[in-house]
Amino acid sequence: MYTITNDIDVRDMARGAVLLGSGGGGDPYVGELYLRNQLAEGRSPSIIAASELADDAFVVSIAGVGAPTVIIEHLVSTHTLLRLLEASETFYGRKIDALISAEIGGVNSMFPLALGTRAGIPIVDGDGMGRAFPHLEMTTFGVYGCAATPSVLMDDSGNVVHVHTKTNRIAEEVVRSVCASLGSMIFGSFYPMSGRQVKQLTVHHTVTHTLEIGRRIRTARDSQLDPVKGVLQFLNAPAEGRHAREIFNGRIVDVVHETRDGWHWGCVLIASGAGREPEFRIEIQNEYLVARHHGRTVTIVPDLIAILDAESAEPLTAEMLAYGQRVRVIGYSAAPIMRRPECLKVFGPRLFGLDEDFRPVEELQGAE
Amino acid sequence: MNTVAPVLGVDVGGTNTDAVIMVGDEVIVAAKRSTTPDVGDGLIAVARAVLDEAKMSPSSLSAVMIGTTQFINAFVQRRDLTQVAAVRVALPKTDGIPPMVGWPQDLVDVVGRHGYLVSGGSFYDGREYADLDTEALAQVARDIKDKGIRAIALTSGFAPVRPDIEQRAAEVILRAHPEADITLSHEVGGLGLIDRENAALINSSLRQLSRKVVTSLQGALGQLGVGAPIYLSQNDGTLISTDYATRFPIVTCSAGPTNSIRGAAFLTGLQDAIVMDIGGTTTDLGFLVKGFPRETATAHLIGGVRTNFRMPDVLSIALGGGTRVRGSADAVSLGPDSVGYELTRRSLIFGGADLTTTDIAVRAGHVSLGDPSKVSSIEQSLVDATLDRIHLQIEDSIDQMKTSSQPVPVILVGGGHIILSRALRGTSKVHRPRHADVANAVGAAISMVSGRVDRMFDFAAGREVALDQAKEEARSAAIAAGAVPDSVEIVELTELPMTHMRTSAVQVKVRAVGKLRVGAL
Repeated sequence: MYTITNDIDVRDMARGAVLLGSGGGGDPYVGELYLRNQLAEGRSPSIIAASELADDAFVVSIAGVGAPTVIIEHLVSTHTLLRLLEASETFYGRKIDALISAEIGGVNSMFPLALGTRAGIPIVDGDGMGRAFPHLEMTTFGVYGCAATPSVLMDDSGNVVHVHTKTNRIAEEVVRSVCASLGSMIFGSFYPMSGRQVKQLTVHHTVTHTLEIGRRIRTARDSQLDPVKGVLQFLNAPAEGRHAREIFNGRIVDVVHETRDGWHWGCVLIASGAGREPEFRIEIQNEYLVARHHGRTVTIVPDLIAILDAESAEPLTAEMLAYGQRVRVIGYSAAPIMRRPECLKVFGPRLFGLDEDFRPVEELQGAE
Repeated sequence: MNTVAPVLGVDVGGTNTDAVIMVGDEVIVAAKRSTTPDVGDGLIAVARAVLDEAKMSPSSLSAVMIGTTQFINAFVQRRDLTQVAAVRVALPKTDGIPPMVGWPQDLVDVVGRHGYLVSGGSFYDGREYADLDTEALAQVARDIKDKGIRAIALTSGFAPVRPDIEQRAAEVILRAHPEADITLSHEVGGLGLIDRENAALINSSLRQLSRKVVTSLQGALGQLGVGAPIYLSQNDGTLISTDYATRFPIVTCSAGPTNSIRGAAFLTGLQDAIVMDIGGTTTDLGFLVKGFPRETATAHLIGGVRTNFRMPDVLSIALGGGTRVRGSADAVSLGPDSVGYELTRRSLIFGGADLTTTDIAVRAGHVSLGDPSKVSSIEQSLVDATLDRIHLQIEDSIDQMKTSSQPVPVILVGGGHIILSRALRGTSKVHRPRHADVANAVGAAISMVSGRVDRMFDFAAGREVALDQAKEEARSAAIAAGAVPDSVEIVELTELPMTHMRTSAVQVKVRAVGKLRVGAL
């Protein structure tokens, strides 16, 4: 168990959560301020390793579901989240022993932390994907048999919807419809699990990773070192099963965004410092899916792609990309559990309409 | 712009007040005076200087354009700010993040922490999720009145979609607190409640100062006998009326660098270049794209507070004409400290004891300044090593600003440019235009007017239809702001689609810019 007590740590975590969001997951700024307000009010989170849970402990994921442009207006209501906790305990008929993030990338890294802090419930150091994904079923929890529902959904006006579906895929569809009906922003409790399940199915230590990633970028920056190298020193740890490298360095020459079927699609084209011709292309469906150099794949989902501001190494979400920006791109391996065949059937490249198989970033030839 | 009527361009900076008189595209005269505690005095001094030199009567001026860093400097230095109350109409939403979370403590100490939340607000599609709680709002207004606070920043959920909710709420507040001076968030920001609320709060805290400064500037010009309309420069290099400036001082907060970059563009005729403003302590690099400064893409902090204002992308490095030089030829070090405005007292050539970059430039024979005999004993090897370091640092910073390895032209402005004497790697040409030291005032004098749109559009009827509507709204806004209709151009268009929605709602931002119709605002 450990805690964090200052704003610098929270900001580091938010920065790390953007990097792990692989372009999606929403700007964690709202979650960051929510957690900072908890610290300002004198509370601090208890972050525990999954191994610290009792096997029969009861753990749920609390997540916000909605459009990034709506979250930045509706923010978050403590009143709603405390009611959601209460309604969930009543609904499940059990006291909640710990909260876990389903999605560490982006804003949903912060909501369980802040709510756990507010309610005095520990937060598990891990999540269900080690990144961000667009669908509710795309979690290690789901792949290994844990159901996303029964689940309690709630909006800020007090509307409550109980969802209990046959499959996690259908849960995704239902939750999305409910979200659209309630103003495009709701909160819910998902993936009720036992402590034993959490230990087996979690992508571990990702809360700590957000903190460490943000810290490496900040400290390298403060000491005038290359912050991209600084963060790579942490991310690339083959002995611990983590592989990362810089896969491109250049200037954005085009960004295409469009909304299709309620999803954010697009692509970003990057030219190297010397030329105007786009050499590097990243496909976007909410998250960065695949990065190709001259058509050759260099990183592909579920491995992560992070686009960083070339100077500050501040990680950029897809919404933040703009023509002319100088960026550096990192390819980062998903956790080993995420690369297993059964996982690739749920969130491998073909699930995103890409006509190729997954290949690990460390086995693909680099762009440079 | 009228090609024969003279205009007065002024830059009221922290240290100096600069002025130029321009007729058409020509700078007729320029002058520089110290900024005074009451900014009107400095304005009178500098305006009189240029008018006298040009032998013009004050009444011959057709317009006065003023750029000033007074408001941003006051906010950053936490001075002349008023206490301000934050009223947010958004319950039952947003209570997890009350107003001013994350604000620097030294700022909260000055403006106070007076946050209030009441019910009301809109969904993205304009439906209200809660009725405006007028009773609670009236109570809040009375409480603020009892605290003796007049400045109020009022923010409601999705105000850019439903500005009328903020307007109704303001009426309720004014009934209970007639002296209230309210900034409505939708008037100063787009989507993003926290950033917009922050902008409204900053604006509110500056309004009293803005009235004082604008009154002083108007009074000064009136005293001189200038009858021409007065405009202020805003962030994007376009003009606003003095009345608008007193209500929305926040929109002037990055006008300083913008005017400097645009002034440099004008003085050289370049549309695409790096503009390097070398002062005594720092060098600021900006990037000129199609005649306008390149803006940053990420969040912007104003005095430690995040807002959604876009700012010129400026890189500052600690190197200027007053930067101190230490060490020997084989291990020379530059700054980062500078003797700053004390250059004329502390540097060697002016009889001081500190070796500065300017001393090196004089020793190298690039410029004659002060007493060269004071630096004649400096070894040539140290001079060469220092010049190597200066040029290397500048070249590195140019490289950081560039978007490609193609050589770019560089425009040098600011008094410190004398420290550069060699060709610069990565540049096609280094321009040192005449009047470079008053580029800010020139930038103010050549300003245009703009109109902006930032809201949700429904793409159901087709993207082109919606974008045409957005462009038309921006164009109309520019004309309403005083642009000559034929001159209005769309200079920026951004689309941000929304996920998790049934409708095809897209956030569209458009900016239109046109030439000022003299006497229009």
